Amino acid sequence: MNKTVAHIIILFLVFITTTTFAQKSKVKGYRIEGDEIVFSFDKRDYKKVTNNNFGAEKDFEDIDINSVVVAGEFNNWSLKKWRMIKISENSYELRKKIEDFTDEFSWEFKFVINNYYWAEPSRDVVNISRATKNGKKLNVYNLNFTTAYVDENGNATFKLKGFKNAHNVILSGTFNKWNEDYFNMVPTDDGWELTLQLKPGEYEYKFIVDGKWMEDPSNNLKKRNEFDGYNSVIKIYKWVTFHLKTNLNAKKVILSGSFNDWDENKYRMIKTENGWEYTLKLFGGKYHYKFIVDDYWMVDPDNPVKEFDYDGNINSVCIVK
Amino acid sequence: MNNCLSQIYFENMPKTKIILILFLSFINATSFASDIDKLVFPKAEILNKYTARIPFKLIDHLIVVEANVLNKKGNFIIDTGSQNLILNKVHFPSQYGHNKKRVETTGVLNSLDNPLQKKLSEFNLLHFSLKDKNSDIIDLSHIEKSKKMHLLGIIGYSILKDYEIFIDLYLNQITLTKVDKNGNKLDPKVYLEKIVDSIDFKLKKHTIVVNGSINSQNLKLGLDTAAEFNQINKSVNKKVLKHFVPKKRINLAGASNKQIEVLAGNLHRLKLSKTVYLGPMKTILTNLSKMQEAFGVQLDGILGYEFFKYKRTIINYQKEKLYFINYPLITQ
Repeated sequence: MNKTVAHIIILFLVFITTTTFAQKSKVKGYRIEGDEIVFSFDKRDYKKVTNNNFGAEKDFEDIDINSVVVAGEFNNWSLKKWRMIKISENSYELRKKIEDFTDEFSWEFKFVINNYYWAEPSRDVVNISRATKNGKKLNVYNLNFTTAYVDENGNATFKLKGFKNAHNVILSGTFNKWNEDYFNMVPTDDGWELTLQLKPGEYEYKFIVDGKWMEDPSNNLKKRNEFDGYNSVIKIYKWVTFHLKTNLNAKKVILSGSFNDWDENKYRMIKTENGWEYTLKLFGGKYHYKFIVDDYWMVDPDNPVKEFDYDGNINSVCIVK
Repeated sequence: MNNCLSQIYFENMPKTKIILILFLSFINATSFASDIDKLVFPKAEILNKYTARIPFKLIDHLIVVEANVLNKKGNFIIDTGSQNLILNKVHFPSQYGHNKKRVETTGVLNSLDNPLQKKLSEFNLLHFSLKDKNSDIIDLSHIEKSKKMHLLGIIGYSILKDYEIFIDLYLNQITLTKVDKNGNKLDPKVYLEKIVDSIDFKLKKHTIVVNGSINSQNLKLGLDTAAEFNQINKSVNKKVLKHFVPKKRINLAGASNKQIEVLAGNLHRLKLSKTVYLGPMKTILTNLSKMQEAFGVQLDGILGYEFFKYKRTIINYQKEKLYFINYPLITQ
């Protein structure tokens, strides 16, 4: 075989393997289950450890694990406090309520072995950011989590076509306070991609391609920003079910509200054993609504939240957040 | 701004031209002032000439509304702990001088494409005229940096005091309704939800001070919509601190942009009246004696975001009363 062709094939193979490998990179160190955050440590994920005293890296295999602790901004990087529970030969877990983290500004963390060694996350992990000390970037990385988080099954997929030659592409936006490290996009066949789980609402975002900020070229929804440029905008919806438990004898019940411009026909509610219901997707925000029961308008009898409209009529109010 | 321009031309111009320029600049200044003297909330629902509902977003624990002022669009923090309207020096260099100019506002807005803003011109009584308000121009860039937001300023007591204010962390909106000098609402139809309780407060300078007690020790507490954390003074009676359960040390960036380490935990069993009491609230232990100047009164603690999270609260400055509306138990 011609040497150049061989080189090209090898390069091509290398490219494929690195791409697929990168696609496999995942969120490490935690998962969200209901209202709990579960910190999870699997020793097979870590190859190196360091310690605080400018110590050199050490191989993970050389250490006998006696204890694993979660240390982060939420507990002032304590090497002892948040001890994890061993759940199998290789893995450790610690469960915390998500709401306990709402009073923090950011959530960087790391695992500590034997109250002494920092387990260094692999550079392929999605949720890592450069560790800093006194404002200076260190040569190690921390794990991190935010209320917006990377999740393959999440509700918001961001795609950037092209830019195959870029070294890295970051997704940054109001969902993570414009952090420039957290959300590394993953290379795909035709560009870059990342899926997040976001709460319903409206978010502004941009891509950072090798340090250069850009709007999402495939998204026409934009907002002017303070730098005389534009941010791309994404709206996240949520499925909401409206119930009416009374009026079971009615012939038809219509759901009408600010979400469908007070249409009097479109959302016909479905009769169930427990009453009437209708499910629709709504973006984050406040909505006024009413039921039309056999042509008679009524507020939701089970919802105490009501407001006047511009003409002094009374509507039921629902909030999606 | 127009005045500055005319002064530059002033020296080298024939007299007629000077008069013309002065005349033009006067016209410009007048029409300009009619616009700039207003604080307009583009996303507000203006119900009638007395009542508006303004949606807010939470940036961390700060209540932030969108507003247009002085031809700029951006965010304002709603802050009952602040005495005046504060404009961010970064965006409003002092030559704007809107508070020096005494020009009658006409209430006529330029024709606008936004239907909500058009609506506003019909109800111009509700516009927030800035011409009689004190405003301070202060550098707020440290808040912009730490919160990564475009901050035009802070809306404080001097603007809010003419209204009854419903701060609703359930619907994420603030309802402002005009009151007379006795605090009676001019709009009879404002709230539909039941007011379940109320307490009195004392207005000390611009600060809302409520009396509370923990472990039968009386406390004077300030109510501050822009306090991201409840605070309790280190020097309160030890009996009170028995009900403060510390959980962790955290770092905070203070108003001066200095990092301080504080003890955070839960404050239990706060009573504000025989019927109004609060469950454990996340609170930080701080030294409040230095804050006396800012609040104009010596306080034992500050109730902020965490309080509003538990209580949907209506503030009436004239009646010196707080009213509470329950969170609904059901959601659709």
